[in-house]
Amino acid sequence: MFQLFSTPQWFNGWDIAFNVVSIVVALLIAGFSWRVYSFKKENKYAYFSFAFILVAISLLFQSFTNGVLYFTPVRDIVLDVLRPATGQGLQYSDLFYRGAFFVQMASMLGAWLLIFFLSQKSRARLTKFFEVSQIALFVYFILLISVVSNFTYLVFYVTSLVLLGLIVLNYYKNYLNVQRKNAWLAMLSFLLIFMAHICFIFVFISAGFYAFGSLLMLLGFLTLLSVYVKSTKGVMR
Amino acid sequence: MAARRSRLELIFDILLAIQNKGGRIKPTHLMYKSNLSHKLLNNYIEELMGKQLIAIEEEFTRKKQKSTKTVIITEKGLGFLAEFRRMREFTDAFGL
Repeated sequence: MFQLFSTPQWFNGWDIAFNVVSIVVALLIAGFSWRVYSFKKENKYAYFSFAFILVAISLLFQSFTNGVLYFTPVRDIVLDVLRPATGQGLQYSDLFYRGAFFVQMASMLGAWLLIFFLSQKSRARLTKFFEVSQIALFVYFILLISVVSNFTYLVFYVTSLVLLGLIVLNYYKNYLNVQRKNAWLAMLSFLLIFMAHICFIFVFISAGFYAFGSLLMLLGFLTLLSVYVKSTKGVMR
Repeated sequence: MAARRSRLELIFDILLAIQNKGGRIKPTHLMYKSNLSHKLLNNYIEELMGKQLIAIEEEFTRKKQKSTKTVIITEKGLGFLAEFRRMREFTDAFGL
């Protein structure tokens, strides 16, 4: 069965559990951002909400593909489902996996890109026409990178790393501007996710990097959760 | 130079000025505290009364032989302030 890279055997399943936590955090942030949008009626909040929905979709697809690879009963069910469509040889099963990896990568890169755009200060933004053309160009590159990454996973993580680096930089500038603890935590959370991606790049050296990267990713999302809790304290009253 | 306040920020400033004065304020004081013109403030007061975020209390004073108005913040108005603060905390954290 097609696999992007190998992961440590002892870690099988843990990354899925980590992803479930991250998905919940991403959906909480998307939900609150949508609430801000319905209150203020400014598109940037809807885009921010959409970005975190994309993160959740990406993590969901990652959990699904990993789950199928790790757990034999699930794999058998998937094989049975695929058999009528692909025939006895299951020669198209790789295509199914590549499709799932593509969704995972395209949605994750799309999310980082949106967050990067939104983290830019409006002063630095271009005029509407150029902004749209810039987004179109970036969308093209994201789709291209997502296809190429199916053959060389490194391309996906390096691209993610570049986008995350720019996001961290913008959030650091934001922290310097607003001088609030929450802004510092938001920067820290993306810095942890950035560091997780550095680990994912070096998975070809040792599979242990995958476990360490997943742990950093979880810490990043837990920091995002603390930003959410601190900002929305008392909302549920 | 400070950026122009949005409509919601103006409403927040008006309600905050009332809250800071213990929940009730005279319209003239409100005008100075929220940094708005008389005409604009009246428009906002009408709008906020329509949305039940504030209420006007009229009191007749014998000494001055005329009625004086006091702007009062409602429970709904206090709720709006709390919600706005939370949203600002969230949007500031992510530089939105």
